[in-house]
Amino acid sequence: MLVLVLGDLHIPYRVSGLPHEFRKLLTPGRIQHILCTGNLCTKETVDYLKTLTADVHIVRGDFDDNPNFADQKVVTVGQFRIGLCHGHQIVPWGDVESLSVLQRQMDVDILITGHTHKFEAFERDNKFFINPGSATGAFNALNSSTTPSFVLMDIQQASLTLYVYQLINEKFTVERLEYRKA
Amino acid sequence: MSMQKTADSNRSSNAGLSMDNQEKLLADALQNVRQHAFAMKRVLDQQSVMEGLKHAANMLGELRTSLLSPKNYYELHVVVVEELHHLELYLADEFEHGRGSHDLYEVVQYAGNIVPRLYLLITIGHVYIRANELPRREVLRDLVEMCRGVQHPLRGLFLRNYLLQCVKSLLPDTEEDNQEESKTGTILDSLDFILLNFSEMNKLWVRMQYQGHTRDLQRREQERRELRILVGTNLVRLSELECVNVERYKTIVLPKIMEQVVSCRDPIAQEYLMECIIQVFPDEYHLNTLNEFLKACRELSSNVNIRNILISLIDRLTAYSTREGTQQNIPENVELFEIFSEQIAEVIKSRINMPSEDIVALQSALLNLSLKCYRDQYEYGNKVLENTRKIFDNIASDTQVPTGTQTAKELVKMLKIPIDCYDILDVLKLNHYKLGLQLLSYRERHTVCMYIINGILDKETIIPTAEQVTQLFELLSTLIVDQADNPSEASRQTITNEDFVEEQNLVARLYNNFQAVNDPDQQYHIIKICQETFKNGGLERMRFTYPPIIMQAYALTFRYKTICEQDEKWEKKCQKLFQLCNQLVNTLTKLETNDLPLRLYLQGALAASEIGSENAETIAYEFFSQAYTLYEEQAGDTRAQCASLTLLIGTLEKVTCFGEENHSTLRQSLTQAATRLVKRPDQVRTLLLCTHLFWSAQRVNESTQKSEQVRDGEKVLACLKKATKLTTQIMDQSVQVQLYNELLNCYIYYFNQNHPDIDITVLNSLIEKLQSETSKISSNESDEFIHNQIKKTFDYLRQQSQVEKFQGLQINN
Repeated sequence: MLVLVLGDLHIPYRVSGLPHEFRKLLTPGRIQHILCTGNLCTKETVDYLKTLTADVHIVRGDFDDNPNFADQKVVTVGQFRIGLCHGHQIVPWGDVESLSVLQRQMDVDILITGHTHKFEAFERDNKFFINPGSATGAFNALNSSTTPSFVLMDIQQASLTLYVYQLINEKFTVERLEYRKA
Repeated sequence: MSMQKTADSNRSSNAGLSMDNQEKLLADALQNVRQHAFAMKRVLDQQSVMEGLKHAANMLGELRTSLLSPKNYYELHVVVVEELHHLELYLADEFEHGRGSHDLYEVVQYAGNIVPRLYLLITIGHVYIRANELPRREVLRDLVEMCRGVQHPLRGLFLRNYLLQCVKSLLPDTEEDNQEESKTGTILDSLDFILLNFSEMNKLWVRMQYQGHTRDLQRREQERRELRILVGTNLVRLSELECVNVERYKTIVLPKIMEQVVSCRDPIAQEYLMECIIQVFPDEYHLNTLNEFLKACRELSSNVNIRNILISLIDRLTAYSTREGTQQNIPENVELFEIFSEQIAEVIKSRINMPSEDIVALQSALLNLSLKCYRDQYEYGNKVLENTRKIFDNIASDTQVPTGTQTAKELVKMLKIPIDCYDILDVLKLNHYKLGLQLLSYRERHTVCMYIINGILDKETIIPTAEQVTQLFELLSTLIVDQADNPSEASRQTITNEDFVEEQNLVARLYNNFQAVNDPDQQYHIIKICQETFKNGGLERMRFTYPPIIMQAYALTFRYKTICEQDEKWEKKCQKLFQLCNQLVNTLTKLETNDLPLRLYLQGALAASEIGSENAETIAYEFFSQAYTLYEEQAGDTRAQCASLTLLIGTLEKVTCFGEENHSTLRQSLTQAATRLVKRPDQVRTLLLCTHLFWSAQRVNESTQKSEQVRDGEKVLACLKKATKLTTQIMDQSVQVQLYNELLNCYIYYFNQNHPDIDITVLNSLIEKLQSETSKISSNESDEFIHNQIKKTFDYLRQQSQVEKFQGLQINN
């Protein structure tokens, strides 16, 4: 089961679009679910994601003005409960301890947040935390340079394989990470 | 008497053309053909040649009919030819076994009717040539001449088609006559043969046009179109001859064909044959005979659609020249562009009534040719665009092509060509492109502008200089400022208009492709240009176009900071950028909602803080306080206010450039704002967020000039206590319990952070409180998730109680 995790695209306020390399990779029919941490900003981008798969989950980012997006969402894929939240509501932003509280309260195995535009994935107390970064490498006032990145999760029952796609200095890299539910 | 007969045959031919009757006529004819064929084959089996020829003649007699429609005549012809093949095979076999009779070619000349006679002659002639019975050259000439005997168009066309088919493999294709078997002929004989056959067939075909009543004209023209392939086959055959080279094509073949094409004065024939020539002969031939071909074009009937012919030729040569890399296929001495350019101008001049869409289509083909074959010679493309403009100006200067017309469509197609062939930076070098665009009305201009932007985005073209940006804006002004000729005045350009939103989002996306890589000053220049341009677009457009400028200006300050050692004015430049942003965001506050400007101010505060330039604090404070003012204006929309306050708190926690005085003002304002929110749960939750402003948030220490965390334990505790007090005032028990749980988690957080006043005893009392409150609420479904949340908190605490730090924790079950 392939799950695409991405967010903080900020089209058109900060970038003109997804990098060409990513677009080529993201073809319809391969991905079953999309979990998006928000900041899509326009309907066009939402529509684009919907061309990839019908099952798109989006939470509201600080630059989304669609009032129908929820602040938090829980999605079950395989044996995993996955929590989704943009992250600007979690103070301090990106703080591991605060994220852990959210993870506990949402009662999820995997917590996905965004906002910092920095890819991160780590295990803590047997739970898994993912920040897919910004899929467009959008500018962020807290760090001067941003690397475009997104994550593909391959979920087979209780095991999760993570493929991290990054565009570092216009070069495309893929990294593989694994996590097993205890 | 003869008058009577003509009238009769006319009547019967009209009757014959009704559908049912046609089917019956065809069925009858086929029936007869089969009977005669059967008889023919039977007598041939008995070696009776003469009898066989008689039956064959009877069978061929069916082809004398005038009653069948061309389509049905064709069907009949196919069957007859197939049966005739038996006779041919039989005769050929006879010769192979040395039994062939030598006088058949003479004998069949006595057949009574001309149609059967000629079919038989052709069949036997074919066999005789193959058997070397008669000299090839003589027979070929004889046959092609004798076919003149049939002057009925339909019968004649099919007869000559049969002739051409039969001799296909017999046409001499050599330079020299074969000396040993004399008189086999040379390529020149083949050319004579085919060219004569071609012109005779064309004459028959053209004559069809003038037979019968004018009221049937349309049907007749349709029938002629169905038959055109018969004439065209001659040209195909010519193109297949190996001994026809460029030279021969130029001196013999083309002039002869053209002579016939021009002199027949028939538009259907001319249109088809010109097209046919273009398609069947190789590109090199066309390249070497361009002038001849184009000269003939000008001599064609004025009813011929010359546009299609020319475009077809241009497109073909364009494709040819770009097939393997550019230009290498065009010989240097062939000035394709000049030739076509001149010829098209001539054609346009000579045809006064040529519709303007045809003129544009021709220019379009020429533009395509010049951009593809002469990529680097911008003056060619420019010339075409200029000429196009001139043609319209000659009709009436400053006119616009009315929307929705064919001409408008052609012009749009034309203007899309450069976008497809070039990237936008090259298109900008075509300085007449803009003039072409201005010919269009609003709707078409809009289409082309959208196409331009989509082209840039698809190709990910970066526009690197302010000058190019300015030029591009001149092209795109239709999307950037209100247009005098915008017809949709009724459906105002507002956020509620989906098309308008889509359009402006596209402009905003485009903005991000204006990137002066490695040249911050150029980027600064671009920002200024864009701001000056976009400000003329009105507030409804600025909502879309300003945010990308603002965000890019923030990003640019970061770039200046990285080169601060090379550029001593970097701080001044950053300050100017922030001032500009302040002004732009301020403009956006006039919008009906201030969500967006509030967020943009906060981004500015963060950016200023990160840059840390001389007066970063002043700028950040200005931006932050502006955001706060906007927040206060949101009163009334509780949901929006709560979301904004959350963002203000999160941002302040990250802004590190404030001194104690400013920071304290802001953090206290936010804390008070939290308590002033309308809903109790919102008050509690935002207060809990505010605790971080007194703990991990940083401000500059006056004496050390370094950022330090606030770490004011007392104030954190005060917030927590206030939050607790507010929680006790909540009426809804489920919500209250939920908030107690959140409070406990917050206390645990600060316990983990070693807050001096929060120890195990504090946690235990909170745990007790939570447990007693929890027992009060029902365990129905709606509260299930609250129970689950609390359970998760306790699970966590139980797990932590193993750790030394948490010793003494008391959790009952």
